[in-house]
Amino acid sequence: MTDVKGRGDPAASQRAAALPGLRSDEGATREGRAAKAARRRAAETESTIPVELYGLRRGTVTLLTTLAFLFAIFTLVPIAWIVINSTKTQANIFETFGFWFARPFSFFHNFSLLFQNVDGYGTYIQWFGNTALYAVLGGAGATALSAFAGYGFARFSFRGSKVLFYLTIAALLVPITALTLPLYLTYAKAHLINSLWGMVLPSMISPVGIYLMRVYVDISVPRELIDAARLDGAGETRIFFRVALPLMVPGFMTVLLISVVAVWNNYFLPLLIFNINTRYPLTVGLGLWSERAQNSGNAQLFPMVVIGGLVTIIPLIALFLILQRYWRGGLLLGSIAN
Amino acid sequence: MAAISLSGLTKVYATGVVALDGLDLVVDDGEFVVLVGPSGCGKTTALRMVAGLERVTSGTVSFGDRVVNDVSPRHRDVAMVFQNYALYPHLSVRENLGFALENKKMERAERDRRIRAAAAILGLQDLLGRKPRQLSGGQRQRVAMGRAIVRSPAVFLMDEPLSNLDAKLRVQMRSEVLRVHRSLQAATLYVTHDQTEAMTMGDRVAVLQDGVLQQYDTPRSLYAAPANVFVATFIGSPAMNVYEAGLETSGSVPTLVLGSQRLNLPPQIAARVAAYQGRKLIAGVRPEDLAVSSGPGLVADVRLVEVLGSEQQVYFSVDATQAGGAAAAADESAQAGILAASAPNGMARLDPRSGVRAGGRVTFAVDPARLYFFDPDTGRAIGR
Repeated sequence: MTDVKGRGDPAASQRAAALPGLRSDEGATREGRAAKAARRRAAETESTIPVELYGLRRGTVTLLTTLAFLFAIFTLVPIAWIVINSTKTQANIFETFGFWFARPFSFFHNFSLLFQNVDGYGTYIQWFGNTALYAVLGGAGATALSAFAGYGFARFSFRGSKVLFYLTIAALLVPITALTLPLYLTYAKAHLINSLWGMVLPSMISPVGIYLMRVYVDISVPRELIDAARLDGAGETRIFFRVALPLMVPGFMTVLLISVVAVWNNYFLPLLIFNINTRYPLTVGLGLWSERAQNSGNAQLFPMVVIGGLVTIIPLIALFLILQRYWRGGLLLGSIAN
Repeated sequence: MAAISLSGLTKVYATGVVALDGLDLVVDDGEFVVLVGPSGCGKTTALRMVAGLERVTSGTVSFGDRVVNDVSPRHRDVAMVFQNYALYPHLSVRENLGFALENKKMERAERDRRIRAAAAILGLQDLLGRKPRQLSGGQRQRVAMGRAIVRSPAVFLMDEPLSNLDAKLRVQMRSEVLRVHRSLQAATLYVTHDQTEAMTMGDRVAVLQDGVLQQYDTPRSLYAAPANVFVATFIGSPAMNVYEAGLETSGSVPTLVLGSQRLNLPPQIAARVAAYQGRKLIAGVRPEDLAVSSGPGLVADVRLVEVLGSEQQVYFSVDATQAGGAAAAADESAQAGILAASAPNGMARLDPRSGVRAGGRVTFAVDPARLYFFDPDTGRAIGR
């Protein structure tokens, strides 16, 4: 019991351990308060799992845990709200308590409305299809390009590679609003307004993805493996797909998730380039419904906006759960001896 | 015929560091050549240039008559065993072995035949379906070897392939590597920092220091006739004792002065070092060439005795100054807390029954014919 790790101070625990004879002597005046506290701490470590958090004091750990817990509630509250209110009628959304259920239960009625063109401005199911298409093409493209570029930056030294990489990173710093006008004018000239490619092409460029892949390749694809493959007579393309890519899977899946989520949730770009309702993704479509519900007297759209929002996030949660199993370490086990 | 010839091979890194300086080396067909030297001596750089993984600053690498400086590693047809194996972790042993053959677009039947043959040579038959992570260190090492063997390459390169194995397995794999070499008869360039490996494995051994070739010879010659102090102290274990010495004539007898002691030299030995009469030189004697004597000889204080069973290693100090690198190393250990005055500056391998005790005094018989002499300025061997 003197072997207490990362909890309290070891000297105090040792003192406590040295005083077993006094243990039953509760309230004895000759016991100092410090010794009591030390004994209590030592006793606790015997019964509970010791918490180790960078050697922080117990009070600090409790405070941080509380803060994290509050933040978790803060982020989960809107999701709880949307789940609860997706079961309500239009009137109940406004008239009943927002964080509890109310009769009648109209979840399935609301859900069926998503497949109908209620006010003649478009159907949810079509926007859902659009979003899926944009996200799959854009996300897959961004992931592929990030993997190629990240691998290239990490494993080839060519003239200007550093400058190019820093330029890529610098692109992160430019706010998208600053690009609105030039982007729109370019699109108009290039006939990309209302075009699928207008949405997909910019989505395929992901500076974050490139950066992530570069870092990931650096730590997960040893140069020796690439050297070995070269000496084994493999061409660079073959090395990438057969040797490097299998080791890049966790990073690859991370970038895939980030990119798909980014396209799925993108509001600004589609708002800018699409002015035909049937081309809208979910974000813009729901925005249109929300605006019409508030300003054009189409109040029957409110429940649809709520359940539409809920259905929008379900595929992302599913994607996260599916990709989760690819995040694992140890891919290099057995390859490189240290 | 020369399978690999390196001529004036030089590597200067962008930082200005000269990793390899004008290496000339010829590896004949079927020869097993070892590149040995302390870490940072340029041996791995040399090997990587032969493989094509490192760009040549100047000089040439030739396979046969063909200069391959500008041939990519992919097209050089060399097989290499890496220090850390570099196995493809997601491929099975079979796929690891077959990867190079697949790249050659070899037919499946021939590929399988070769994989089976290589697996048989290395005893991997039962492991073909396993992934590298399911193998022991020794098995991984065999797969790394097998990956090179299946290709039956003209040139075989090995970069410290045994350094990650434990001592026992390393000794076992040494003979295994040689067995494989004999069955393949491919010109092999083998890099190691371990002089024992170099001596036991190489047909010829090239000793490198600071990017410069010190000597290229058979292990026997390296041991018997080292070209300079570095080779003399690097080859042989335990290392040769080297001391600063003087050469005088007392009466008509030439004598070697070691600190306060004098050793008479017979005429034919004296003739070898005649040019150094009255000057300083470096004298060396191997630990195994010292024996306890009851007559005259080199008197030393015994500091420490290590009994190994078949022999005992006796650390002693004589009142002569250690020469060159050996002295620097002794200084370091003295600074590390060992009292400089009592630090041993020599070592002898003696019969365990010789009765030498730590703290005692011993007289070594020194056979002058077994002494090595070196120039104190250049370090070069004298009279050979």
